[in-house]
Amino acid sequence: MAVRTIDVRERVMAKNDELAAQVRSRLAAHQVAALNLVSAPGSGKTLLLERTLQRLGDEIRMAIVTGDVQTQNDADRLARYTTNLVQAVVTNGGCHLDARQVLTALDAIDLDHTDIVFVENVGNLVCPASWDLGEAAKVVIFSVTEGEDKPLKYPKMFRQARYAVLNKIDLLPHVPFDRDLAVRHARTVNPELRFFFTSALTGEGLDSWLDFVRECARASSAP
Amino acid sequence: MHELSLASEICRIAETHAGPAGAAAIREVAVDVGDTSGVEPESLTFCLEVLLSQPPFAAARPRLFRLSGDELRVRYVEVDDGRPDH
Repeated sequence: MAVRTIDVRERVMAKNDELAAQVRSRLAAHQVAALNLVSAPGSGKTLLLERTLQRLGDEIRMAIVTGDVQTQNDADRLARYTTNLVQAVVTNGGCHLDARQVLTALDAIDLDHTDIVFVENVGNLVCPASWDLGEAAKVVIFSVTEGEDKPLKYPKMFRQARYAVLNKIDLLPHVPFDRDLAVRHARTVNPELRFFFTSALTGEGLDSWLDFVRECARASSAP
Repeated sequence: MHELSLASEICRIAETHAGPAGAAAIREVAVDVGDTSGVEPESLTFCLEVLLSQPPFAAARPRLFRLSGDELRVRYVEVDDGRPDH
């Protein structure tokens, strides 16, 4: 027997991170910011993006990459509000987007005429936390119809995110959701997390979110 | 949830380090798994067992080292290629 040990010490995510760096440098070369929107299914990512397109479409050039396990429904919904490109990635069972998919999607986007790219990740609070897509920042979205302890249950996602959107606040009078408790839980896992409180449906609280998007587009990064 | 794709990447990395004897000579693939890496060790072990028992692998088995932190990396591969250890 001549069994020998070969040292490897290679990170499993190294390939993805290398591709994410390519995404980042391509975006930087065109002075484009990218935000990676992550949430559980049904938190309102798509409606928030629809409202963002409706309200800012005349002043900011936005492109969108949507990831879904099946269907192009989200891309079709969003395409109604913009003449810019909405690029759909169907993951066919994949639970997250990876940097290679985003890099390929960027090929189809005219970055010279884009101010900001939104990546609408697959609805999932677990796996997308582990994959760098080359974004300026992750934005985690959750809603008042979910538990206040979402940040404690999915700490990696809330740690990875720099911004949190608590959505569906129009429903607060009707559901037993303690907003302050949710914020406390979120700050327990990530004290730096910056919050937006919105109802994408009624428009309540959207102004500060839209100001943030304007700032990202202007600075080509996340403030 | 995505352990199968991670296992595939681990196998790809292992194969590139196996040397001239190739993947079939690999006996063991050792992986460091941090407790905040987002990886479920038992699921990863299962996926690796499946992949490492199929071509181009022959009779390799996974070995996981559980650490603290978010590390996820291939630590070493053990090969039986007839060459002496050094």
